[in-house]
Amino acid sequence: MTLTASNLESHSDDHFVDAEADAQAGRVDVEGRSPLRLAWARFRKDKLSMAALVVTTIFVLCAISSPILLKLGVLDPYTNHTDLLVPETGFFPRGALGGISIHHPMGVEPQIGRDVLSRLMLGATLSLTIALAASLITVAFGTVAGIIAGFTGGIVDGIIGRIIDLTLAFPATLMLLGLSQVAVDKMKAIGIPNGPNGAFVNGFYIVFVLAVFGWPPVARLIRGQVLTIREREFVDAAILMGASRPRIYFKEILPNLWAPLLVYFTLLMPAYVSAEAALSFLGVGIKNPTPTLGNVLNSAVQFAIGDFFFFFIPAAIIAAIVIAFNLLGDGARDALDPRAGR
Amino acid sequence: MGTNRKRLVAAAASMVVAVGVAGCGGDSGSGSGPGDQSSQTVKADVPKGGTVFSLEQSVTQSWDPQRTYTGRDLSNMNRLFSRGLVMFPVGATDPEEGATPIPDLATDTGQANEDATQWSFTLKDGPKWQDGKPITCEDLKYGMSRTFATDVITGGPNYIIGYLDIPQDANGEPAYKGPYTGEGQDLYDKAVTCDGNTITYRFKKPWPDFPLAIASLRSFDPYRQDQDKGAKSQLVPFSDGPYKIDDAGWNADTGGTFIRNDQWDATEDTNRQANPDKFTFTLGVEAEVVIDRLIADQGDDASAISTRNVTPAQFPQITGDVAARAVDFASPFSNYLVPNFNRVTNLQVRQALAAATDRAGYSAALGGDKASKPSQSIVNPSTPGYVANPAYSADGKPDIEKAKQLLEQSGETLPYPIKLTYPIGSDASEKAFAALKASYDQAGFDVTLDGLDPSGPYYDTIQKPGSDSDLIWGGWGADWPSVSTVIPPLFDSRINIVGKSSNGQDYGNYKSDAANAAMDAAAAETDLDKANQMWADLDNLLVQDVAYIPLDVSQFYFLRGSNVENYVNAASTSGYPDLGVISVKDGGK
Repeated sequence: MTLTASNLESHSDDHFVDAEADAQAGRVDVEGRSPLRLAWARFRKDKLSMAALVVTTIFVLCAISSPILLKLGVLDPYTNHTDLLVPETGFFPRGALGGISIHHPMGVEPQIGRDVLSRLMLGATLSLTIALAASLITVAFGTVAGIIAGFTGGIVDGIIGRIIDLTLAFPATLMLLGLSQVAVDKMKAIGIPNGPNGAFVNGFYIVFVLAVFGWPPVARLIRGQVLTIREREFVDAAILMGASRPRIYFKEILPNLWAPLLVYFTLLMPAYVSAEAALSFLGVGIKNPTPTLGNVLNSAVQFAIGDFFFFFIPAAIIAAIVIAFNLLGDGARDALDPRAGR
Repeated sequence: MGTNRKRLVAAAASMVVAVGVAGCGGDSGSGSGPGDQSSQTVKADVPKGGTVFSLEQSVTQSWDPQRTYTGRDLSNMNRLFSRGLVMFPVGATDPEEGATPIPDLATDTGQANEDATQWSFTLKDGPKWQDGKPITCEDLKYGMSRTFATDVITGGPNYIIGYLDIPQDANGEPAYKGPYTGEGQDLYDKAVTCDGNTITYRFKKPWPDFPLAIASLRSFDPYRQDQDKGAKSQLVPFSDGPYKIDDAGWNADTGGTFIRNDQWDATEDTNRQANPDKFTFTLGVEAEVVIDRLIADQGDDASAISTRNVTPAQFPQITGDVAARAVDFASPFSNYLVPNFNRVTNLQVRQALAAATDRAGYSAALGGDKASKPSQSIVNPSTPGYVANPAYSADGKPDIEKAKQLLEQSGETLPYPIKLTYPIGSDASEKAFAALKASYDQAGFDVTLDGLDPSGPYYDTIQKPGSDSDLIWGGWGADWPSVSTVIPPLFDSRINIVGKSSNGQDYGNYKSDAANAAMDAAAAETDLDKANQMWADLDNLLVQDVAYIPLDVSQFYFLRGSNVENYVNAASTSGYPDLGVISVKDGGK
């Protein structure tokens, strides 16, 4: 949108961009700029990306603060308030707006009367934690596999490539459903703590499965990048100087990959938030009554006609989180790799 | 105990899927919601013809009389194609009338000897099978004998094995092994005899309400030996009633169509009205979709019925003309919790659990009065002999303070950890168990909700005596209107706890010699009033031990299409729509 042909051209001449940006900012020093700062300058110019960053930051702050607020007793996602419901209607909230009041700014759940805001905030904490952990593991594992495959080539590349094919061919959702009970029991047996209401072990299972089935695309992407990087002179130089394999992998090649990785990571987060929500639909993951964005939405969807506000608020918030992360990822990609264009 | 498992699977489902166990009785005297039988009127002379469509989510486990144990299917079978010696009257809206057997294949409701250990019935002349052959005393005798083949004929009620006067072999099992092996056939022939058209049953203990059992269950119905393919006959109905399965047969996953049976004689069987020309069953329709289609009332769905409950989320849509097509009816099923006696050994902890149980919150989460009412006993109010136990309040509110005190006195470390195992089902049931957890946690427990799939690991888990569940959900309906089909099947440790492999339906591993003795005494009592008093005393004993904690009585909340007429769901069909009287507007023209 805001990136035009001039940006594309200007990228080929970094000094020119520097001068232009500095002139705009009214500064005169001629200090060189790192690629990260260049990217950040480009990112800041994109209003939509900046808006997405602000929204994302708010959600992340909410997610960080909600366990503290829960401890302080400000949030209360578990207490029933049947007194706020009308028995004659089958225990739907009083009033037209899903029981919105000062004490319950987002209303209460029908039939049980739990505070919707508390459930959404705590749900965001759990969902974002799961998505973050799963994204980190996915990217880390995919990167290592991709670098090794791309750099080594030959039979190692072939083996990793076939493992990727095999993983992609697995019916992931079916596996997830079929194995959930067995796998969770196994995890408990090897000593993964249960956590409150089994949240740790069930959350860990989701993270594990998302990562196991999420790494192949990362590995493929990285392998492709490494295939070009390994032909560059500085890699040859490192080899000639007798650098060890790990050093070449992580000190020489990895620093050249952070741009695609960051982009992939920011796009993976929203995908995993919605994946967690979808898995909740299928009854896998964090157990009742611990809230996640997924199981709150799962419950709310049925009330689209019966109690519109109870449906609308969680749906809108999850949509906002996913869209904000997606736009953030898009913005990051544009800023880091302006040649890609839009 | 494998035979009884299916019935319980169905019972669990009744909470959310509305397919219940065999239950007779079920009244509306206790104030059902709007649109109960007061609006249900039965007309005797209605236009014949048309097709009634039945939209269901859950499949029919069995159409085999000796293997069926699901309330909906037992009721439908009797109205459509499987006749018994006696039956409950069709379209009986009065609970008393609906639970009183009338003759069907027999000329009267049976002759008993003085102590009810011997019953005789005389067959009518005239009833025929769908191929035109008459129904004989031998067919009746053969049908019941199949129950003894416990390796082939599984899943059905097996009361007859406990009652019929057949000696036991070395393993404590009946010496008669069913008609397929023929082992011990002479013993069976002695216990059940045919004298012309008169069949006589001899029992080893009194069975005063035997006709109620015949009318409620289908395991005493006749069966044709030449049609019997053993286990393969499970979904192959062979009719002696007004309808038979069409040539396409029954598909286990999708259903089938019943058409008129031309060998059935309306002048001989005056009980069943048999109004529509066809009944078409469609299975596997998703729960919410069933209700959405019935609300929309389009095309064939206007002539449709279902035993799917309206979910709480859909309550606001049941207004205006849709409300006129809805019926809310107290079901014959009651739900309860049992503490695991192998783990929760401290009586004061169990008492604290009982005091802290939020039955009101549980009911509210299921949708309140239209879906569930807090109960005060494990016995359903529709069962004769029901007494509301004074230990449990009518409003179902928990007494948190009392629970806290009891827990403190118990000397256990707090918070006391509890693993509550329950069947996962709907969003509403998840909320219901969350409501229970909330009040337990307030009282000083630390509850972990352990939801398991009722068609998967749920029953396997809770039927293991060594299970690590502390509190277990159960649901039950009387097999016929008597407390003797409620308390002994659930709490008699002698019939339930078999070795170390299974605890049967005694999920809490409750063992009490006093209770077992009281059950024997009450079951042998032929004076009904005295027996009822004995059952009530026994219920008190169970409550004092906290052998169970009552939760709620399920309500049926059914919808039907606008062209469906003569729609009754009453005691005589366990609260399910009575297909014996149902009709289509103007005969479907």
